[in-house]
Amino acid sequence: MNIIDRAYNDFTFFDGGCGTILQAAGLQPGELPETWNINHAQVIRKLHHDYLLAGVNILKTNTFGANSLKFQDKSGDYTLENIIEKAIENARTAILSAQAGEDLEGKLLRSNQVELVANTHFVALDIGPLGKLLKPLGDLDFEDAVEIFADTVRAGVKAGADLILIETMNDIYEAKAAILAAKENAPGIPVFLTTAYDASSKLLTGADPKTVVAVAEGLGVDALGVNCSLGPEEMFGIVDQLAKYASVPLIVNPNAGLPRTEKGTTIFDVTPDIFAKAMMTIASKGGRILGGCCGTTPAHIGAMIQAVKQLKPTPIVKKEHTLISSYTHTVELGLKPILIGERINPTGKSKFKQALRDHNMDYILQEGLTQQEKGADVLDVNVGLPEIDEVAMMEDVVTQLQAVTDLPLQIDTTNEAAMEHALRRYNGKAMVNSVNGKEEVMRVVFPLVKKYGGLVVALTIDENGIPATAEGRMAIVEKIYSRAAEYGIDKKNIIIDPLAMSISAEPNSAKTTLTTLRLIKERYAGRTSLGVSNISFGLPGRDYINSSFFVMAMQNGLDAAIMNPNSTEMMKAYYTYCALTTKDENCGAYIEYATALAAARPVTANATATKTTASVMGTKTDLLKDISDESKRPLVEAITKGLKERAALLTGELIEQMEALEIIDGALIPALDIVGKGFEEKRFFLPQLLMSADAAKGAFDVIRDRMLAKGETQTKKGKLILATVKGDIHDIGKNIVKVLLENYGYEVLDLGKDVEPEKIIETAIKEQIALVGLSALMTTTVPAMEETIKLLREKVPGCKVVVGGAVLTQEYADMIGADKYAKDAMETVRYAETIFEAAHK
Amino acid sequence: MSHPVILYEPEKSMLEFTPKEVGRYLGYGNNAIPDNELQLINRGIEQVREIMTGKACYSKFPVSFLSGDKIQLPYGIVKSKHLTRNLIGCSEIYIFAATIGTEFDRLLQRTRVRSLAEAVTIQACGAAAVEGVCNSLNETLRLEMQKEGRALRPRYSPGFGDYTLDNQKGIFALIEPARTIGLTLMDSLTMAPEKSVTAIIGIEE
Repeated sequence: MNIIDRAYNDFTFFDGGCGTILQAAGLQPGELPETWNINHAQVIRKLHHDYLLAGVNILKTNTFGANSLKFQDKSGDYTLENIIEKAIENARTAILSAQAGEDLEGKLLRSNQVELVANTHFVALDIGPLGKLLKPLGDLDFEDAVEIFADTVRAGVKAGADLILIETMNDIYEAKAAILAAKENAPGIPVFLTTAYDASSKLLTGADPKTVVAVAEGLGVDALGVNCSLGPEEMFGIVDQLAKYASVPLIVNPNAGLPRTEKGTTIFDVTPDIFAKAMMTIASKGGRILGGCCGTTPAHIGAMIQAVKQLKPTPIVKKEHTLISSYTHTVELGLKPILIGERINPTGKSKFKQALRDHNMDYILQEGLTQQEKGADVLDVNVGLPEIDEVAMMEDVVTQLQAVTDLPLQIDTTNEAAMEHALRRYNGKAMVNSVNGKEEVMRVVFPLVKKYGGLVVALTIDENGIPATAEGRMAIVEKIYSRAAEYGIDKKNIIIDPLAMSISAEPNSAKTTLTTLRLIKERYAGRTSLGVSNISFGLPGRDYINSSFFVMAMQNGLDAAIMNPNSTEMMKAYYTYCALTTKDENCGAYIEYATALAAARPVTANATATKTTASVMGTKTDLLKDISDESKRPLVEAITKGLKERAALLTGELIEQMEALEIIDGALIPALDIVGKGFEEKRFFLPQLLMSADAAKGAFDVIRDRMLAKGETQTKKGKLILATVKGDIHDIGKNIVKVLLENYGYEVLDLGKDVEPEKIIETAIKEQIALVGLSALMTTTVPAMEETIKLLREKVPGCKVVVGGAVLTQEYADMIGADKYAKDAMETVRYAETIFEAAHK
Repeated sequence: MSHPVILYEPEKSMLEFTPKEVGRYLGYGNNAIPDNELQLINRGIEQVREIMTGKACYSKFPVSFLSGDKIQLPYGIVKSKHLTRNLIGCSEIYIFAATIGTEFDRLLQRTRVRSLAEAVTIQACGAAAVEGVCNSLNETLRLEMQKEGRALRPRYSPGFGDYTLDNQKGIFALIEPARTIGLTLMDSLTMAPEKSVTAIIGIEE
């Protein structure tokens, strides 16, 4: 019987703690326990044998930390391969003796012991976390993590592991890397996942049990559950959550409580009896594969097995929840309509297109954050533009969006490679936009959804186009469901989009779509989605049509809408619909929305801008003493005080009266100088300097938009490069310098953080750069800075280099051969002025 | 038997971090913080409090001293005049790691997109917050040792004085903070999540 059949048939038992027992046997702090497979093989075999005598089915190999990060030897005894081979051999040896009715010395077992070991046994290749955080939070690349896990998996497969147990994962992203490595390198071998939750029932990187289920089942694990960190009783709530959402067998391997010290010895509070009793409760809650973790011993596991064996296992039931998730939380479809923000999409948006061409990531991220603030539940991500590398861009945008927002994303592309890269990198369980009834499309998209997990939007269109009738569309729905099933994709992971077409071209269009929506619900209880705004194409006042259609669609069973969360009409429709259909408890969300809407009456320029004078605002007027032109004083004051909206408003007024250049030279630059000087003299501090910079940026944006509208461009004082050097991922300092330089009229080519020296050189040559600014936070990355400077000197002679960052000093800067050490952002601006003014003269 | 690594999770309400402390990280020194900047700081404190998950882990180890400013630490022999001066006379030490979690890193990135002024303020709030976690742990350990009639030395972190940043490797291999509090060490020897601290505390008789 294989392990999966066994798990579906009856309780299955894991062994218990290992580390705590090895410590008691003399393992030293900092010593790698995996080496004991070789140099203390008898201890490991005895441990396994003791657990077999307690009645377990599955032995975990002593390979928790066996990975190529920790074991780098390529020859000798302690290679990764050898450690894993010996670990599996130790488990097998113990199993062979036990099954032969002997102990490890060959003496016969007692009859009650023989009874306990008369069982099916499996060896699980145990894989623990790598101890590194993945990018973008840490420095381990996702693909590198997959490769490291793959090394372990391959060695385990070669040595004959029966299953792979990925355990104690406290980051769902790392768990994903490990599962992929297992699936890709151990085809046909079952993969189990257990994660470690903290006292708040979350992983250390934030995922809740529901999210873990969504991601892990999407990736196709054969069983999942919880281990370590908590005692069995503290796990009850987590087990309830897992049991509610999981369709695969549940694993529960608790600690014997939390460790503490008493008079110099380590104590775990949970005794075998207490453990056994708590595990009975866990079994009744749906726990199916049960064992222990830190602090549990053969006594705990033996007591548990005797107790749980008397119970009848709870049946494993397939769940129908449609879930998508980010790295921390899950959105469930079918509870209330889900809003999918459509704004990250270049179609018809010239600014967005430009941002894509310029790789202006902040612009794209801002679009995402704004939609989140407006109430989007999911963000659609479409970055397709003929002239850019969509695969790289999609991967980059998905990664960076996930560094700033916890909303689940919808990967929206027709490019197969872009879809696969994004799905692979995505941290969570994504939505995929889209598949349709065409054979060639299903052939490409379904295998990706099956492999990486996802909820896929399926359009009711096929080789013959979009059927004009609801029944015609239903035929495609039927086809899509059945083809998906052939790929092993469940109906709950398909979300049908019955397509809204413009009523201006096809008068029946709305009725057909609404009927199809209703039929999908009636016949299949299927999930549905719509790109709502297509309905009004070609009509004036589109929001009015869209919002009414939106309500009708929700009434006919729409589960999710791809829409614009910035549209007030759409949001009104959404909140009122939810309030009217008991989807908004006590109308709470509606009341909050309606109240905020009433409070946010549009501000007119005249009302706030001109009536407030400098003295009313209480500014120290001596700051403004050099500003002779009264008309410019309010703007200068707004900037020095860091009032962004007011600065933009006032600039909008001024630009009606004077040339852009006059505003820049007569108000913006003087204002920045006032604050810059105050900062240099330590009268102003960093937040004030940056608030002013933000306000000036707001003013510049108004000027730039106006100039763009008139077809003019702003002349720049000079072009320079900024980068945080290789190995350094801290970029706030660099960004401060960038904003100030831009405000002072320089064009900044921002190469980002962790930048290879070669990329800097390449850009410097291509763009004929006269000044490069390098930033480093850590002493450990200063050598990378030195290397970059050396290369610059060699390849781009004449280019000046200014360096800065927390760790740098004048001495360091001299040592590594920089032209200038700037202690703060203002000093960089002053230095740029000397370089570029000299160049102009 | 060696001491286990113990998890410490302070109540958020126990953590003190005030606008004045945050202001110190922003360079205000003893200068008064103007109103609009104070608002920014208060908002930052609120946001950081909301998302932070302050956790620490620690363990107790023996320590002994060799000639020439060398110390026998649990992960190896380290030469450091400054650390020797800090620990001399102690027979045991605590080694701890503390963090406020990954959500802070995301909050910082999110804020950076919107406003740098807010981002540097959040940055300072994070620094004050992790100090708060350290202080809270420190106080707990102090009270524990007081019961045994022992006292604690000021905490000392790698990267200070001549106790080099390189020591992070030994500390991380020893107490494996990734397992208990999710704290990791990058190749550059910086820690992730960003607002984190490791340190040694001497226990004197």
